[in-house]
Amino acid sequence: MTPTAFLGLHPFQWLAVITAGATLLLLVDAFVGHYRRAFAYRMQYAPLVTGLLLIVSSLAAAIFSGPAWLNQLLWGVGWLAAVSGLIGFGYHVYYGIVTKPGGVKWLLHYLMYGAPILAPLGLTATGVLGVITARGLSGEGRVFGLDMPVALCIFVAIMLAGTIVQAAILHYRGAFNNPVMYAPLTVPALTMLAGVWMALAPSTLVRAAFAVLLWMTLLVGFIGFGMHLRGLDREMGGLYIWLFNLLEGPPQGAPGLFIALAAVGLVGIYLL
Amino acid sequence: MMETSSRRSGGPVTSMRQAWRLMELSAPLHPILVHFTIALMIASLGADTIGYLFSVASLADTGWWTMVGSLAVTPLTLITGAISRRRIPIEEGPARSFVRSHMALGPVVFGLLVALMVWRAEFWQHGHFVSGWYLLGVYGAGLVMTVQGYLGGEIVYRYGAEVKRAYREMPGHSTQGLPPLLPSSSRVSASVREAMNASREESE
Repeated sequence: MTPTAFLGLHPFQWLAVITAGATLLLLVDAFVGHYRRAFAYRMQYAPLVTGLLLIVSSLAAAIFSGPAWLNQLLWGVGWLAAVSGLIGFGYHVYYGIVTKPGGVKWLLHYLMYGAPILAPLGLTATGVLGVITARGLSGEGRVFGLDMPVALCIFVAIMLAGTIVQAAILHYRGAFNNPVMYAPLTVPALTMLAGVWMALAPSTLVRAAFAVLLWMTLLVGFIGFGMHLRGLDREMGGLYIWLFNLLEGPPQGAPGLFIALAAVGLVGIYLL
Repeated sequence: MMETSSRRSGGPVTSMRQAWRLMELSAPLHPILVHFTIALMIASLGADTIGYLFSVASLADTGWWTMVGSLAVTPLTLITGAISRRRIPIEEGPARSFVRSHMALGPVVFGLLVALMVWRAEFWQHGHFVSGWYLLGVYGAGLVMTVQGYLGGEIVYRYGAEVKRAYREMPGHSTQGLPPLLPSSSRVSASVREAMNASREESE
């Protein structure tokens, strides 16, 4: 299938826009989390710097699609963000679990109350998405040895798996106090399985099922946005004392990752 | 500051900067913007329905552009909604339950608009009329928006969020009055009303 433009934008321009949006949401949560810890380590600024670079280079690639140097820049910044996410993951494991009292013996406790273990890998993922986008904008049909649609299916499936696990940990901490908190473990999990199936054995039926599930995952993301906003307002004082509750309440940008991943999948199956 | 207050009391305005400083928008923006979201979406629904039934191309275009307008204004509606919430110190109770439900449903309405917009764009891009399934989807989203509008209406018209004590009262308005009763809490509220009336009579 040849790439199809949608509303005047090439599929990879859309992916660049999604990369910028997803990174922005990640940065909001990274800033809030690191601000809560008063930026105790200088490395806590790293995701903000690399993330901002990724946002700027993605938007530039989306708007001025064409110049090879811009695609090369996005490719380089994508890898930088991916590496910075991996380093962040190491930091979260080391300073969030290993060096804490009890260390790995208290793994479940620190998974729930320490630094969110998988959150930095979100930046790695958006970095990788930036790399895929840069390759696509350069006119290449394959990335990491895979066809673009297959690569995107696998990307969505892996990312959904990580997002579901992180959501499960934090919703478990919240004792699943509202039945809607099970939502990230239901539809997105099915979408992840359909994504794997689509990558391994694509067919018309699987494609249709994957498309429906991606749309549902998109809506789950928006429902998550609403419920996290509601969760913030359930704190004492709610949005009236917004800064304190923003630091203590549910991460406001997190459900947006489901929206971004669903959008990536939809671009992959409809436009590529 | 002194300079601004002297201009405010009638002094001459001699520069754009002074004019900008004198600008004051005291009304909350959220209830203003929300009408654009709702009206444009309903206009899109109406235009697309008639365009679908009678194959009127210009109405199909109207349906598309009004949907674009509805989606474009909705992020501002959401942001101003959060700003409005920040201004109102609501204690725990029925009013806050309405606010919380309204806050939870807002992004869902936005999500539905995004999904419908993508779907609608497909028809517009290929110059087709919308399908019956699409119209069914818009009617469903309209239903969710109606619930959202009802919740917002309760917050303003029953509980006076950002209205109470903020504007001049209408002639004949009684400051002693209590908000209208909710059906579910009428028994509790009635007892509260009796207690308040009793304390008023005592103080008189």
